Amino acid sequence: MSTVLLHLDEISRRYGAVTALHPLSLTIPTGARHAIIGPNGAGKTTLLHLIAGTLAPTEGRIVLNSRPITRLSPAARADLGVGRTFQHPAVVDQLTVADNVALAIRRRLTFAVHQRAGHRALRAARVAAALQQVGLTGEAATLAGQLPYGRRRLLEIAVVLAARPRLLLLDEPSAGLDPAEISHLTAVIRALPAEVTVVLVDHHLPLVFDLADTITVLASGQHVATGGSEQIRNDALVRDAYFADTTPATTRAPRKGARPTVLDIEQLSAGYHGAPVLDQVDLTVSAGTVHALLGLNGAGKSTLINVVAGLHPARAGTRILLDGTDLRASRTARHRVALVPQGRRLWTALTVSEHLAMAAAAGRRFGAGDGPGRDVADILDMLPVLRNKLRRYPAQMSGGEQQMLAIARALLLRPRLLLLDEPSEGLAPQIIDQLTTVITGVANDGVAVLLAEQNQRFARAVADQISVLDSGHIEFTATTAVLARPDAQARLAELLGVSTAGTVA
Amino acid sequence: MTTMTNPAPDTFTTGSAERRATADRAARRWRHARRALGAVAALAAIALPALTGPYLITLAATAIVLALLAMSTQLLAVAGLPSFGQTTYLGIGAYTAALLAAAGITNGPALLAAAAGTAALAAAVLAPFVLRTRGVTFLMVTVMIQGLAVAVAVHWTSVTGGDEGRHTPAVTLWPGDPLTSTPVIYWYTLTAFAAVGVGTAWLMRSRLVLLLRAHAGHEPRMTALGHRATLELGAGYAAAAAISGAGGALLITINTYVSPADISFGVAAAGFAAAALGTALAGFPTMTGALVAAVAIVVVRDWAGSDGTGPLLLGLLLLTVPYLRPAVLRLRARRVNRPGAAA
Amino acid sequence: MSTLASYAVTALGGLAYGLLLFVLAAGLALIVGVMNVMNLAHGASYLAGTYLAYLLTDGTLASLGIAVLAGITVAGLGGAALSVLMRPLKGHTEQAVVTLGLGFIAAWIFTRVSGGTTLVPPRPAILDGHLSVAGHGYPVYHLSFIAVAAMLAAAMHAILHHSLTGIRLRAAVDDPQMADATGLSAARIRTAALAVGTVLAVTAGVLGAPVLSPGPGVDSTVLTLSLIVLILAGPGVRIRNLLIAAISVGMIQTLGVITFPTLASFSLLLAVIAALIIRGRHGLQAVATA
Repeated sequence: MSTVLLHLDEISRRYGAVTALHPLSLTIPTGARHAIIGPNGAGKTTLLHLIAGTLAPTEGRIVLNSRPITRLSPAARADLGVGRTFQHPAVVDQLTVADNVALAIRRRLTFAVHQRAGHRALRAARVAAALQQVGLTGEAATLAGQLPYGRRRLLEIAVVLAARPRLLLLDEPSAGLDPAEISHLTAVIRALPAEVTVVLVDHHLPLVFDLADTITVLASGQHVATGGSEQIRNDALVRDAYFADTTPATTRAPRKGARPTVLDIEQLSAGYHGAPVLDQVDLTVSAGTVHALLGLNGAGKSTLINVVAGLHPARAGTRILLDGTDLRASRTARHRVALVPQGRRLWTALTVSEHLAMAAAAGRRFGAGDGPGRDVADILDMLPVLRNKLRRYPAQMSGGEQQMLAIARALLLRPRLLLLDEPSEGLAPQIIDQLTTVITGVANDGVAVLLAEQNQRFARAVADQISVLDSGHIEFTATTAVLARPDAQARLAELLGVSTAGTVA
Repeated sequence: MTTMTNPAPDTFTTGSAERRATADRAARRWRHARRALGAVAALAAIALPALTGPYLITLAATAIVLALLAMSTQLLAVAGLPSFGQTTYLGIGAYTAALLAAAGITNGPALLAAAAGTAALAAAVLAPFVLRTRGVTFLMVTVMIQGLAVAVAVHWTSVTGGDEGRHTPAVTLWPGDPLTSTPVIYWYTLTAFAAVGVGTAWLMRSRLVLLLRAHAGHEPRMTALGHRATLELGAGYAAAAAISGAGGALLITINTYVSPADISFGVAAAGFAAAALGTALAGFPTMTGALVAAVAIVVVRDWAGSDGTGPLLLGLLLLTVPYLRPAVLRLRARRVNRPGAAA
Repeated sequence: MSTLASYAVTALGGLAYGLLLFVLAAGLALIVGVMNVMNLAHGASYLAGTYLAYLLTDGTLASLGIAVLAGITVAGLGGAALSVLMRPLKGHTEQAVVTLGLGFIAAWIFTRVSGGTTLVPPRPAILDGHLSVAGHGYPVYHLSFIAVAAMLAAAMHAILHHSLTGIRLRAAVDDPQMADATGLSAARIRTAALAVGTVLAVTAGVLGAPVLSPGPGVDSTVLTLSLIVLILAGPGVRIRNLLIAAISVGMIQTLGVITFPTLASFSLLLAVIAALIIRGRHGLQAVATA
C-alpha cells in the first residue's frame, strides 16, 4: 500500500558559510511514522522547516504527493495537507481553547463573513471532536494563555489535527512534558488514523522507539542512517554518533587541592509563559573546575545558564552568589561573568576584530588586577583560527569559527565565571576536540566554568563534575570518576533517554 | 455599544467555584451598569439639540467623525497593527463624497456608501504593500502615508482644490430637501453613525475579527494552518478604511466643505490617540473604549480648550493616561475579584 | 543656456534640503533602531531648534555657535528625559502616544510665542549673500550648510565604523541582550541614542531654518520626509544608505515640486512602495524562523 507521500530530493540548507543541512534524500510513504533524531545542531529542525516551507532549501526539490512544492509558501503547503507543531506550543494565548481550534477549520480561501448557520454548526461539531480527541473538552472556554504548558501542547496538537492534515510534522512534542503527559501524548498520536503520515523530531528516545516505524539519524547536518527502529538501535555508526557516547575520548585528570567556590546557586526557580522550567535548583562551581549540566531538551539547562547570565528573570526566592556576594542580573559583565550563548549570538553587523575590540574594552574596564589578564593578542594565540579572519563578518565564517569567536568574546571579558550553553552544538568531531582543549586550558587558568551540554562524550572529556537535570530538578551530581561506575552509567542512560530499556513494545 | 467579545485578561484564577461565581456575579453587575450608562449616553446624544445650542451640536458632530476615525484605528489595533494613517481613508471618503456632491449626487446614504466603498478599495490596493511590515515599522509607514496623503491633497488641485479645499452642496435625504438646519444634520449624522456602529459590532463578532486577533497573537501558527496573512489582514485593513471613509462622508455632511486641514497630522494624531487611550483604559483594544476616548478628546481639545489651550490640554491628556494603565488594570482586577462583591 | 544654471541653483537647494533631511533621518534612525520607539515628536524637535536659533542669533557667527551649543544641551537633556518617560510604557502604541503628547505641547508653545507666523532666524552676516558663478547667484548660507552637513555625515560615518562607540552602538542595535552581557549598559545606550537622536534633530533646526522655513505644519512635513528617508534607506543605521536616500528625497522635493508638483508627492509614494516590496519582509522572516 506504500504510495509515496513525501519525497525529498537532495535538499540542503546553508546559512552564509554554515551548512545546517547537507544534501539529503528521503522518501516517506503514506501512513508512515517517521522519526528524525540526532544531537542538537544535527539539522532536524531545519529539515522540518524545509518541509513546512518556513525555510527555503538552498538546493534540492521537495515533492508532496507527486506534486513539486519546493517553491510553495507555508500557507500553500498547509492547503495541500501539511500540518505542523512548533518547539514552543504555537497557540494564540489571547483566544479561548475552542476559538483556537476553530481557526483550523476553514474552507479554503474563504473568510466566511457570510456564514450560514449550517456552517457554524458544522464548525462547532468539528471543534468539539478535536478537543475530545486530546481530552481538552472541559477547558473549551479557557483562554489558551492560562493553560499549563503540557495542556497547551495538547491544544496545539488538537488545532493541527482539526485541520485534517495528511502530513503531520511534530517538532519536539515531548519537550517540557512530564512522564504522564508524554504517555497521554503518545496515546493521542497512536490513535491517529492510519492514512495520516507523521514526521516526528524528538529527543525522548522511548517515545521515538514507541511510535516510529522508520528512523532517520542526522548528525552535524549530515545523514547518518535511515532504517527500522531495530536496525537503528544496532547500527554501529548510529551508536557512535548518538547513543554510544558513554566512553569519553579522554578522561579528565582530576584537579588537586581545595578550590574556592565561585558560583553558588541556591533555590533557583524560573519559568516561561507561566510554566515552571526550574524548581529550586542548588548548584556550585569552584574556581578552576568545569561543571557540566546534562539533560534532555526542555530539562532546563539553557534556562539555568540564561538566569545566571542575567538574560532570563529568576523567580522570587532565588539566590545567586558570586564569590559570596549577590549577582545582579543587570551587571553580570561587571561581575566578570561571561557567556557563550546557545546559537553563538554574534553581532551580524560587526567584524571579528570589532567583536574582539568591544569585548577587550569591557575586559579592561571590569577585569582589572586579579585573574588571567587576556588581551586580543593572547586570544589570537589561543585561537589561531581567528587570526586571518579579522575582517570577516560572522556570516562569512564556518560554525566552528563562529563558536571560537563567541568563546574569544567571552574570554576577553577576563571572566571569573564562564558560562557555555551547548558549545558543541552542530560542530564536527575535530572541532569539538579543539573546544575541549580550549575549555580545559581556561579552567587550568583558574576560571570557574559552567557548561550546559547534550554531547555526553564532550561533557565528560572536559568536566570535573557533572549534574543531570531532569524536568527542572537536579537528579544527581557526581564527579567524572564516579560516573565511570556501571550503576552511575545505568542511571545516566536512563535519565538521558539513551537507553532503550524503557521502550514499550 | 460595540464591545468586542474579548475576555478580560486574567482577572481571576481558575480556583474555587464559589470564587468564580462571585466574580461572575460582579462581572454581570458591571455589564448591567455599563448597559445602563450606554443607554443614558445614547438618550443624551439624541436629545442634545433640545438641550443645547448649535455650537455644542457641531462639536458633537465633530466627535462623531473622530469616533469613526478612532474605531477604524481600533479595528487595526485588534489585528495588532498600530495605524496612524486612517485619515488617508477619511480623506478619500470625504473627497469622493465632495466630488459626487458637486456632480449632483447629494443623497446622504448614497454618499456614505460611495465614500466607504472607495476608501475600502483604495485600502485594498495599498494593503499588499503596507502589510509587508508589522509593529513599529508599520507605524512608521502609516505615519508616512498620512503625510503623503496631505501632500497629494495639497498638490492635486484639479481634484482636491488644493489648500483652498472644496465646497459642496448640502446633502439631501431621498426624497427630501437639502439638510440645512443644524439639529437635522446632527440627527442624520447620529443615525448614520449608529448604522456604522451596528455594522462594526457585527463585524467584531464575525470570523474575520477572530482571524485578525489570531494573526495579532501568533502569526506563524496562522500561516502554518494555511491562513494568508496579507489577504486576511488586508480584509481587515479594507474594513477599517470603510469605517474611516464613512466618517469622511459624514464630514462633508456636517461641514459641506473639505480641505487638507481635515486630514492633517493633528487630526490623525487625535484619531490614533483616541484608539490608544481607549486601549489603555480598558486594558485591551475595545470599540467602546475608542468611542469614549474620542468624545473625551473633543471635550478636552475643543470645548475646554476653546480659548486656544486645546493642544496643550490634549498633550497633557496624552502624557498622563498611558501612565494610569497599571492603576486602571489593578482597579478592574479588584472590582471583579473582591470577595462578596455581589452579596 | 541659463536654464541649466537655474536648475543648478535649484539643485543646490535640493542638495541642502537633502542633507538637512539626512541629519534629521539619522537622528530618527538612531531612536527607532536602538529604542524601537516611533518618536512622533521628532518634527517638534526640529521646530524647537529653529525657535532656539530665532531666540539666540543676532546675525553673528558667534551667536549661531551659541545657539548650536544651547540646542545640544537642551536636546541632550530632553532626550534623556524622554528615555525616562519611555521606561514604564509597554508597546509601540503607548510610546508613540506619549511622544505625540510632547509634540502637541511643544507645538502649542511654539504657536503661542510665534503667534502663528513664521519666525525666520537672521542668517549670520558673513554667510548672507550670494556666490556668483557664471552669472547666477548661489546663496552662501546654503553652501556653508552643505559643507557643515557633509562634515557631520563624514564624522558620523567615522564614529559609527571606526570607533569603539560606533562598535558598541551597532552591537546594541543588533542584539541588545548580548551587548548587555558584554559589559554595555543597555539602559545607558538607550538613553544615549534618544539624546543623540534628539540633538541631531534640534541641531538640524538651529542650522536649517534658512533651508526649510519653520512655520505651522513644518513639524509633520519634517517627520514624514524623515520617515520616507528611513524606509528608503532600509533597516539599521547605515550612513551611506541614509545619505543617498535623503539626497534623492531632497531633490525630488525641490526640483520635482517646482516642475511637476502633483507628480512629486506621488513619486515619493511610489518610491516607498518599491522600497517596501524590496525590503519589507525582513522583520517577519526572523520571527518565522526563530
